[in-house]
Amino acid sequence: MFNDLTSNASLLPSRRRFLQQSSLGFGSVALASMLAEQQAKGAPAPLNPMALRPSLFAPKVKSVIWLFMTGAPSQVDTWDYKPELQKRNGEPLPGSDSKTGFFTTSGKILKSPFDWKQHGESGSWVSGIFPHLSQHVDKMAFIHSMHLKANNHAPASMELMCGDSQPGRPSAGAWLTYGLGTENQNLPSFVVMHERRPRGDDQIWSAGFLPKSYQALTLDARRNGVIDNLSRSTMESAAQQRSSLDLIKEMNQQHAQLRAPQTDLAARINSFELAYRMQTDAPEALDLTHESDATKKLYGLDNKTCEVFARQCLTARRLVERGVRFVQIFAGKNAGGDGAVDDVPWDGHNNIETNHRSCGAATDQPAAALLADLAGRGLLDETLVIWGGEFGRTSDSQGSVGRDHNPKGFTIWMAGGGIKAGVHHGATDEFGYKAVENKVHVNDLHATLLHLLGLDHEKLTYRHNGRDYRLTDLGGRVINEILA
Amino acid sequence: MTVATRAHFLSAFIIFAAVASCSWAAAADLPAEQIAFFESKIRPVLAEHCYGCHSEQAQEKGKLKAGLLVDSQQGLMSGGETGPALIPGKSSDSLLIKAIRHEIKDGEMPPKGKLPESVIADLTKWIEMGAPDPRVAAAPVVKTKRTIDVEAGKDWWAFKPLTQPGLPAVKNAAWVRTPADFFILAKQEAAGLTPSKIASKEKLLRRVTFDLTGLAPTPEERAAFLNDNSADAYAKLIDRLLESPKYGERWARHWLDVVRFAESGGYEFDGFRPGAFHYRDWVIKAMNNDMPYDEFVRMQLAGDQIKPGQYDGASATGFLVAGPYPGQITAKTVEKIRYDQLDDMVSTIGSGFLGLTMACMRCHDHKFDPLPQRDYYGIAAALATTVHSPSQIDLSFAETQKKLAVHNQAGAPLQAALKKFEAEELPKRYEAWQRDQLPKLQSTAPWQVFDVQSATAQSARLMSDRDGHVIYTGNKVKDDIYTIKVVTHQKGVRAFRLDALSDPTLPSKGPGLSDNGNFVLGDVKIIAKPMDAKNKAKAVTLKLKAAQVSFEQKGYEFAKTIDANPGTGWGVAPQMGKDHAAVYAIDGEAVGFDGGTAFEIQLRFTNFFGLGRIRLAFNNGSELAKIADAEDMQNLRELRVLSDAKAAPANVTRWFSRFDERAQQLTAAVTEHERKRPQPVLTEVYTTKAGGQDVFFLRRGEVDRKEGKASPNFIQVLMRSGDAEKKWVPPPEENKTAVHPRLSLANWMTDAQAGGGPLLARVIVNRLWRQHFGRGIVPTSNDFGTQGEKPTHPELLDYLASELVKNGWRLKPIHRLIVLSSVYTQSGEVNPASLQTDPENHLWAQRPARRLEAEAIRDTLLQLGGKLDVKMYGPSETSNESSRRSVYLRVKRSELVPFMTMFDAPEPNQSIGDRGNTTVPTQALAVMNSPFVHDLAAQLLNRIHATKPSSTEAVISKAYEFALCRLPEPHETQRMLAFIEQQTQLLGSKPDSARQAQREFCHALLCLNEFIYVD
Repeated sequence: MFNDLTSNASLLPSRRRFLQQSSLGFGSVALASMLAEQQAKGAPAPLNPMALRPSLFAPKVKSVIWLFMTGAPSQVDTWDYKPELQKRNGEPLPGSDSKTGFFTTSGKILKSPFDWKQHGESGSWVSGIFPHLSQHVDKMAFIHSMHLKANNHAPASMELMCGDSQPGRPSAGAWLTYGLGTENQNLPSFVVMHERRPRGDDQIWSAGFLPKSYQALTLDARRNGVIDNLSRSTMESAAQQRSSLDLIKEMNQQHAQLRAPQTDLAARINSFELAYRMQTDAPEALDLTHESDATKKLYGLDNKTCEVFARQCLTARRLVERGVRFVQIFAGKNAGGDGAVDDVPWDGHNNIETNHRSCGAATDQPAAALLADLAGRGLLDETLVIWGGEFGRTSDSQGSVGRDHNPKGFTIWMAGGGIKAGVHHGATDEFGYKAVENKVHVNDLHATLLHLLGLDHEKLTYRHNGRDYRLTDLGGRVINEILA
Repeated sequence: MTVATRAHFLSAFIIFAAVASCSWAAAADLPAEQIAFFESKIRPVLAEHCYGCHSEQAQEKGKLKAGLLVDSQQGLMSGGETGPALIPGKSSDSLLIKAIRHEIKDGEMPPKGKLPESVIADLTKWIEMGAPDPRVAAAPVVKTKRTIDVEAGKDWWAFKPLTQPGLPAVKNAAWVRTPADFFILAKQEAAGLTPSKIASKEKLLRRVTFDLTGLAPTPEERAAFLNDNSADAYAKLIDRLLESPKYGERWARHWLDVVRFAESGGYEFDGFRPGAFHYRDWVIKAMNNDMPYDEFVRMQLAGDQIKPGQYDGASATGFLVAGPYPGQITAKTVEKIRYDQLDDMVSTIGSGFLGLTMACMRCHDHKFDPLPQRDYYGIAAALATTVHSPSQIDLSFAETQKKLAVHNQAGAPLQAALKKFEAEELPKRYEAWQRDQLPKLQSTAPWQVFDVQSATAQSARLMSDRDGHVIYTGNKVKDDIYTIKVVTHQKGVRAFRLDALSDPTLPSKGPGLSDNGNFVLGDVKIIAKPMDAKNKAKAVTLKLKAAQVSFEQKGYEFAKTIDANPGTGWGVAPQMGKDHAAVYAIDGEAVGFDGGTAFEIQLRFTNFFGLGRIRLAFNNGSELAKIADAEDMQNLRELRVLSDAKAAPANVTRWFSRFDERAQQLTAAVTEHERKRPQPVLTEVYTTKAGGQDVFFLRRGEVDRKEGKASPNFIQVLMRSGDAEKKWVPPPEENKTAVHPRLSLANWMTDAQAGGGPLLARVIVNRLWRQHFGRGIVPTSNDFGTQGEKPTHPELLDYLASELVKNGWRLKPIHRLIVLSSVYTQSGEVNPASLQTDPENHLWAQRPARRLEAEAIRDTLLQLGGKLDVKMYGPSETSNESSRRSVYLRVKRSELVPFMTMFDAPEPNQSIGDRGNTTVPTQALAVMNSPFVHDLAAQLLNRIHATKPSSTEAVISKAYEFALCRLPEPHETQRMLAFIEQQTQLLGSKPDSARQAQREFCHALLCLNEFIYVD
């Protein structure tokens, strides 16, 4: 989650492994030569090994906020309007197959129970569960043809975030911080917020085989988003701590002088100073009390139904404002009493209407406020907001009024810098069942994400167990159709 | 796994053929581009659309249609019922083309729908080309461009046989302490470098104590070592450390990284595996006992075969199943999940044992190393019959076996007497009884009590008596399944009755086994099948109705035993201590097969205890019997049916014994003896179990693109001759079961002459070196292939590997070779010359300080605070606050311990050979601010004061001794005194400000680089 102070200043393959895994030899020599190379590329060359790494080409955005709708919203009840579905409720679903869902579906069409209207200049259709977000459709680029392989929550969430449904690969947030470093040395670069932990847990935001410096920092809403060990021990005063840190620094410097110029010794000396600064900077970033009442109201902090997500979205804005690279919020709240479990709130197996009304109400206003607030502050141009779940849902019913998992076609939207606003890319079939037109694979989504941050997905690699891994594995195509 | 030779050959053939790159697979005379066309355009189509009904495999499964095989050239040419499928060069005359163009009425192929026009065009083109087909048996070699040349691949350094390098000549022979030094020094001298001087005794003590045990030397150990001026003081120290049980705990943890050890399934729900810790304990014991490494590997691959039913065998194969596995599976995902599981095993075996990266080979040949896809599927096939399971394993297997032998011996005369009686006396007596007694006897009770054949449970020990009771005798657990087998020759069975009986011997008189006498019966399942093997009727699971019950607890109603939800069930609180009964009626036709019916009755108890005393009865009258109706043993009516059917006397003994004193005595003697059968002490071990299905070759690794069955075989590039694997995978001989394929794999893996042994040895000695120096001789510990880094000292590596094999694969002698060497014991002082010549220290002209691993940091903090609980083994600690060594902390995939991962403990999802070593501010925050470190600093100070230090200087001195294994320099003492003084002032007039200031000093000491960077 933080830049590794020792090693990650390099993307140079020959030195990288040596530096990341060992503290042997004369790392500083290697480091000096690395910095020289970066300098040659026009990068700033501070003697701080935590230096921000330059993008390969001009980035469109600096930060990403990923609103992860945990449990998988139904495309045909949110953003993918299908008149045929409304007309043919209860009829057999043409092309329905038994392999798409996770459990068993009826094979009969279930119409969307919501009112659909067109919005904005783009005339985008939005279901009635998003009265606030529908005001912002002209900021969004919709991808209606997302698809992936896994058809259960944990593996699909891993596939969506890490490119593979088996655990062990690094997630997009880890890759990005590995590729770019961080803008703000005093804050974590990769932050995950959740209430109940989503199904799949840490494996969804894993640093995988990347160095642990790219781990996410998780803020648990149930613990009021506390960062462990951030506060000074009650056993000592601020002056005592400072005096102690001065001593530690002095002794460490003497120790380092007597040893080979190992960068990790220097890095650890540095890490105490950073930690000291974090003690003040991080609480400031997470403190919402100084936000105006208007802002709090805009997000819905005063609204019990969406209060938690409101706080998370407002925190996300404050974090990207301060240079945090990647913020991910796992969201949704099912108060519909339809049996969906808290760790997958959007999972409307039993009743799509009550489930999605509840999850919509818990997420709509804060997400819309985030777009408005970012835009108002001129931050939307340098931020990418992504909204979506781990897959979609079946167009036929499960039980009588529920929908099963459907990885074969679902909708994700993006808004922010570099995005062509108001476009609709790709399409599902006339029933919204499967992506058929301009299909977008997870690898494509990731390639586009990296592209917007100025990285080439084919060049961002990491050597592990004999192979140069990429976030996009062997695939990936930048979706130019949604780029401005 | 028994495979008929022919099928074996054929399946192997299909696999060879399926990989274009397997050099011996291609036909002799076909041009490469024709083979390429066939492989890319024709075979996939045939495999996907036709093999289902027209292949050897379809034939084996009885699914072959029209007698046509299209999975071989011969099959297509000789054709099926309607003649040859194709005529080379004449597409329009070929039946195949007509069929796929849907020109044959009722013979449209494939039946599911017409193929795309482009595919039809390809097939047409292919036949016009003359239908070139490489799928002919054992043809000579033709290389296509993607061929992997396994023979040429053997030239790669890692795949060569072990050399036994001689010791190189060195100038400064006085520096050499162990043979390892010759190899190091020779290279240094060649580069004009000189090694650093030997480190001080204090530094050596701290270094080697951490390296071998993961803990700090105590002040007593320091004093003892410093005072020992004998020449072999250091060697004695090494002996002591290698004999310490802490050595096993330290080195087991290194191994657990390699084998991605965890105790839960990951994915959704991350189900905990309570019996998984046995593997961890087994590794610790193996390390401490210096188990030979070849045995260590063999046990992990096939311990369940080498020591079947035994605790250490089952614990060892916990290795295979330690990987992630989803907690929610449906029929749609089960197959992919299975192949993912096999992939996890194959990859871990490849990286962990052999330093080969095999994960990519699920989809294609290795892109860089001479490893064809066949090698991957060969190992996967060896694992095909391996699934995971929590198993009940006998902790004292040998003892139980001994007791059983005694028991069986004692029982033999009883069995013999019964047999003799059945042969010699019974027929006459039975005949007389049928004639004289049977007509007079009557049995009309609506309920007939089953004379129980067998009663077993997953955990509980059950026995049955001749009055139809099933009686619990020990080993109760919550969650158990009782399986009771009964038979009847009567027909028209319409209902079953379950008596849950109270008994003074049960807790609170029962009938349940919980302390208050209650039970919760979660689900009941009854399977009926014919007794007579000649009756081909299928087994059926009976559909049951909850007809009647004596009493049901609120919320625990009787009907919940048949609601297909084992989580809910029947209980009887508060009416414990009484007899209870319940009646299940069959929902539908009455049951009874010709030749008799066997019922398997499964009682599943969930989240609560089971029953202590049971009786089962059935009802086959014209009316459904009620609970209050009378019961009678079934025997008489069984005998009547058997008598009518003129059954042979030997088949009736069991029933007849109830009416014949002599028969009863003899059967009772046997039963009575069986009741005393010695019972094992069972414990739950998460391990391997037989199961699973054949493994198929997957095109691009996708489960819906199967191409022929894989058969066990291993890494060809590591074999010394082309057909060498026959040595390890012998075809089964007559009347003999084949060698278990995993045992074959284990034998191959550890064969130092002709199998994987040389590489296996190189990889492990490199791991030892890596943990002692921070970097392996091969810096990429898990990759000895061409993408890994080459060894800095190849001869040294081979020397160590040869020594390992020569010394019976024991690791401790290799540790000695390393830690007693000069290269290990030299200091980390910088040598300006080497800075120039060898900036990355490849030649080891000094040994720099290394940071401790997460476990060592945490364990040492606990140790310094006097809090370390040295208890070994057993279930994992669920609390991160536990004071036990970190190797015993629970490894749950979704909830890794933050302190561990912060200091680079890896995620246990893939084999990790080289942990990262990052420095991040969260680590600094943890040592600066966490209550854990502050508390231990306070505890450390308490320990120091317990030594009654005479002054603040003495406190400082003692603290250095504890934490850093040295005494402070005078200037350090001065600085620390000033610090304590400053802190005291900052604390102001608090009563214990002096003590608090000292605590701050102890805390600062634990934050120092010197504390976690060991010289």
